[in-house]
Amino acid sequence: MAAAARPGPGVDELALLEKLLGLPKGNKYGVQGERKVPVLQTNNGPGLTGFMTIAAHLVKQAKKDQLLGSTAEEKAVVQQWLEYRVTRVDGGSSKEDTRIILKDLNIYLEDKVYLAGNIFTLADILMYYGLHHVMVDLTVQEKEKYLNVSRWFNHIQHYPGVRQHLSNVIFIKNRLYTNAH
Amino acid sequence: MAVTGTLYTYPENWRAFKALIAAQYSGAKIKVLSSPPHFHFGQTNKTPEFLRKFPVGKVPAFEGDDGFCVFESNAIAYYVSNDELRGSTKETAAEIVQWVNFADSDIVPPASTWVFPTLGIMHYNKQATEFAKEEVRRVLGVLDSHLRTQTFLVGERVSLADITVVCALLWLYKQVLEPSFRQPFVNVNRWFVTCLNQPQFKAVLGEVQLCEKMAQFDAKKFAETQPRKEPPRKEKPPKEEKKKEEKKAAPEEELDECEQALAAEPKVKDPFAHLPKSPFVLDEFKRKYSNEDTLTVALPHFWEHFDPEGWSLWFAEYRFPEELSQTFMSCNLITGMFQRLDKLRKNAFASVILFGTNNDSSISGVWLFRGQDLAFPLSPDWQVDYESYAWRKLDPASAECRTLVKEYFLWEGEFKHVGKPFNQGKIFK
Repeated sequence: MAAAARPGPGVDELALLEKLLGLPKGNKYGVQGERKVPVLQTNNGPGLTGFMTIAAHLVKQAKKDQLLGSTAEEKAVVQQWLEYRVTRVDGGSSKEDTRIILKDLNIYLEDKVYLAGNIFTLADILMYYGLHHVMVDLTVQEKEKYLNVSRWFNHIQHYPGVRQHLSNVIFIKNRLYTNAH
Repeated sequence: MAVTGTLYTYPENWRAFKALIAAQYSGAKIKVLSSPPHFHFGQTNKTPEFLRKFPVGKVPAFEGDDGFCVFESNAIAYYVSNDELRGSTKETAAEIVQWVNFADSDIVPPASTWVFPTLGIMHYNKQATEFAKEEVRRVLGVLDSHLRTQTFLVGERVSLADITVVCALLWLYKQVLEPSFRQPFVNVNRWFVTCLNQPQFKAVLGEVQLCEKMAQFDAKKFAETQPRKEPPRKEKPPKEEKKKEEKKAAPEEELDECEQALAAEPKVKDPFAHLPKSPFVLDEFKRKYSNEDTLTVALPHFWEHFDPEGWSLWFAEYRFPEELSQTFMSCNLITGMFQRLDKLRKNAFASVILFGTNNDSSISGVWLFRGQDLAFPLSPDWQVDYESYAWRKLDPASAECRTLVKEYFLWEGEFKHVGKPFNQGKIFK
């Protein structure tokens, strides 16, 4: 069963996050098990295991706790989308899975600028990294169909420091098909 | 180096918010002077000193610590911004100016027409309101289609465009854009709510409650602020005053004053609270004046206890005597003013006299006020009439002042300066 799953998000992405957070290089990562779960060796105590655990730890290390949400509700919503990212985005691999994810997100983002609502959080950053390979492959028509995702994605990729070496995904700002909904 | 300076405004001025939010982003240090004793709206901004710096006499007005002065809210917001807010390329800067102008030319006029009557500060005109509603719908439509693919108005970050347009829409969202009206504009709503929730906006605007139910014309409030009960003649002089001002300033200026009235409302509790305690007890004097002989008891009492530090005496003369026709109308003019000044009774006393006869009369009076300034700018309720009078502060030590107080409080004497016989007097107490 574990062998069939895609490898989870890895060390590369944590390096992106480190850089975005302005942390000095120096964290040492290892991987563990068949899914190559990242492990961070810490100076004191046992190592941290798992992508989301380490990501949250890095945010705290950078003293940017607001990226984890400010109110209890925001924190919960950030957690919700981090979980969604790991279980659904990373877990799914078929065309159909991707379609459902984009549809879900498109509905969700209709009335929100960020995943946690009004503020930019770790959820936006990691969802952006997680969806980059999907968005790169979308046709112009699909980008128009998932308009709210496109708007959100474009905003996040322009957020200072987020995109780094990843390719810039182009979005057309005027409507392609004026009759489309 | 971030800008530092002082912003003169009245409290809760949405135009001043633009500069204050911009400063939150840029780190500019702005000291706000919006209330007495540092800034009296309608008074401080009419002083020669203020007009030398800001010839238009409007607020908000900004004075940098380095002496740089600038007025007009958009210019101030621009000045206190950083390059990100102003747009770092020519194109983005141009787009930002585009939305700033759009706010002033397309949003503010219909927003004012629709919102003001609901606040009771402008008369309701059904046709105008319906037209304004449609105009607002059109404007929201324009914004909505723009914000379909855009997170913020220009580029991918908050700019002066967002700050300006949000502030221009603020009263609409608070007062009349009930859920069913705003529901079709999902993209505008998303953008608007996100902006309001940015820490920099929140620091200035606080928690903004979006409209639950469209506010309607508030006839009661309107009647309170602009009573129509008096004879029509009564209304004329102040109106002319207004017209003059309107010619000078853009129509939006009215918005400022109306909102000033609104903003000042919850704060009218005690506008004199900042003054030090005075040994002169007004009620005691009023009792003497009402119950005992004026010449032998009340006047001596007054001069014995009068506190020139805590109180001031003023001579007021009606500026449009040629418009006074029937004496009963002129009397209504005086009593109407007294009624509107009701809340001032604890801190003022006056004797106002009508001289002359029908079609040949004048009105003048002696006023006693708490503090050293005219009290009228402290509350919007009090501003209806006072501009129709010429006000002159009296020197309590002067013989002229003694004579005026004596004659006006007594309703007897030569009234040398008047040249018309005493007709009747009214006491504000």
